Amino acid sequence: MKRISIDPITRLEGHGKIDIFLTEDGEVANAYLQVPELRGFEQFCVDRPAEDMPNITNRICGVCPEAHHMASSKALDELWHVDPPPTAKKLREMFYSIFFATDHTTHFYALGGPDFVVGPNAHPSERNILGVIKKVGMDIAGKVLKMRHDGHHLIKMIGGRPVHPNWGLPGGVSRGITEEQREEIEALGRDAIEFAKFSLQLFNDVVLGNPDYVSLITGGLFTHETYNMGTVDENNHINFYEGMIRVVGPDGKEFAKYDAKDYQEHIEERVEPWSYLKFPYLKKVGWKGFEDGMDSGVYKATPLSRLNAADGMATPLAQAEYERLFDTLGGKPVNHTLATHWARLVELLYATERWVELATDSEITGEEFRVLPTETPDEGVGSVEAPRGTLTHHYWTDERGILTKVNLIVGTTNNNAAINMSVKKAAQGLITKDVEIKEGLLNTIEMAFRAYDPCMACATHTLPGQMPLEVTLRAPDGEVIEHLAQNLD
Amino acid sequence: MKTLVLGLGNPILRDDSVGLRVAQEVDRLIPANPDIEVGLDYWGGLRLMERMIGFDRAIIIDAICTGASPGTLHLLNPDDIPTQRSASAHDVNLSTALEFGYQAGAHLPPAKDILLIGIEAADVQTFDEALSPEVEDALPAAVEAVMTALSDAGENE
Repeated sequence: MKRISIDPITRLEGHGKIDIFLTEDGEVANAYLQVPELRGFEQFCVDRPAEDMPNITNRICGVCPEAHHMASSKALDELWHVDPPPTAKKLREMFYSIFFATDHTTHFYALGGPDFVVGPNAHPSERNILGVIKKVGMDIAGKVLKMRHDGHHLIKMIGGRPVHPNWGLPGGVSRGITEEQREEIEALGRDAIEFAKFSLQLFNDVVLGNPDYVSLITGGLFTHETYNMGTVDENNHINFYEGMIRVVGPDGKEFAKYDAKDYQEHIEERVEPWSYLKFPYLKKVGWKGFEDGMDSGVYKATPLSRLNAADGMATPLAQAEYERLFDTLGGKPVNHTLATHWARLVELLYATERWVELATDSEITGEEFRVLPTETPDEGVGSVEAPRGTLTHHYWTDERGILTKVNLIVGTTNNNAAINMSVKKAAQGLITKDVEIKEGLLNTIEMAFRAYDPCMACATHTLPGQMPLEVTLRAPDGEVIEHLAQNLD
Repeated sequence: MKTLVLGLGNPILRDDSVGLRVAQEVDRLIPANPDIEVGLDYWGGLRLMERMIGFDRAIIIDAICTGASPGTLHLLNPDDIPTQRSASAHDVNLSTALEFGYQAGAHLPPAKDILLIGIEAADVQTFDEALSPEVEDALPAAVEAVMTALSDAGENE
């Protein structure tokens, strides 16, 4: 069996690589996403005070520390059986909306967008944020920089520190905001709404206006019919911060709706010998392998999944975009993986609208932003929608609040099975006997997993050295037949 | 010349914390100077570029994995870092980020005035607050490299 290895990865501790195994006939036999193992997180946490967790767990991920901080703070609420006051919940959700808007911006412009704006077959030296500027114009650079700057500035202002907030406590947050700060948050939020509208317009003009891209999105190569998961409010509208977990089937009908604390009744985690990352699946459907369909417990938890799992958006502009997406792509559910990029922009608009809604809420500058816990801690589950999927933190402690056990299901883990299926399907569609394996073709396969915005290592950066794309063709005995490394220099 | 000394890393991922440790020690050693800011951060790529806005010169200290002996020091320029086809799953590489910043008209140090001090790591995949012994032993030399770089520019006078 021959093997192709795609290593798209920059940092040497890596986010993962794709191995594609070929048959003797040159057809794709299987494809695997390999991820590096980070060791010892649970041992690191056990025997520490639980209230340290919002500041420890936000260190396990260099991409979405704010999501871990928030899930962890909510787990502490449950652990100490304390309900934060309305001002605290609204402050947390506003902070979280700002984070979401900033994160989705980065993904679209730096990562997902270049594939469409510049094109999947463009030379890699062009297929990046610089290529986007070249194609769309210099104005966009300033807009993206401002959006990111504003987001980071507000996250620091509200959360106490850049990147790693030290703000969440059991029962609320450590400080509120002043009227002056509120005014700034509102003003920058209104700018952010305009930025989100601009981004959707750009997607409309460049991607939806190009029939080739539309057929790429809606073609069978990037389509999977699985269950979809997302958090919804009492109206079944998307909410990133709190609500019930809702799962809809490949037929679009509600399959389950549950409180996050009951996740173990609904989700089982499977171990495969070739991957350190577990494969969660729907317990009540069961594991039937890496398969589509109603009988397979595979589910997705992505921006597109959240749109599929909800009945709508809670804000007016995002609701209109939500309707446009489903009208354009043929109704619910949409199972085209690449439409996740569009869904991400709909969520960007929702996040900015929600940011302003909360910044103009009469309770947001309230002074009751924490309730002191008085109960004895025992066990708590906290859940939020991270940009990459439903994020669950589960802690157990002794009566002093010292951790005895920790379990996390991070956003990308939910999508592990689906990512592998997507990569395999794209590879099978593109790599066949006698097809020359070129850069553009490998990029198209990578697009299958890039749509999920996967966060593999939840690690960090290490000096920004990069590894080249490596394609290794191996004979059945492991001997290298051909080795292709594509450096740009 | 406004200079940024920035340690990068994750404080709980063993040798990945080495850049933070070096920056903290440099901060302790140098006298207060309005032209030198010592900071700690976590991100590469776009965020790192944005952190350098407003400075004329930057010294970035971070863990690196090249296959050399743990503790080996690497003195690099952004142009020395091999740039390949694909950015990180979540970010762009530093060269691309800098180019983006230059094109956007941001006040950034020119690439020649960005020094990257990489300390070869033994383990960046285990959650731990301690460094590997070989990397711990390299701390004085790494601190010295930063102090020399600052001294070369006359910044610590």
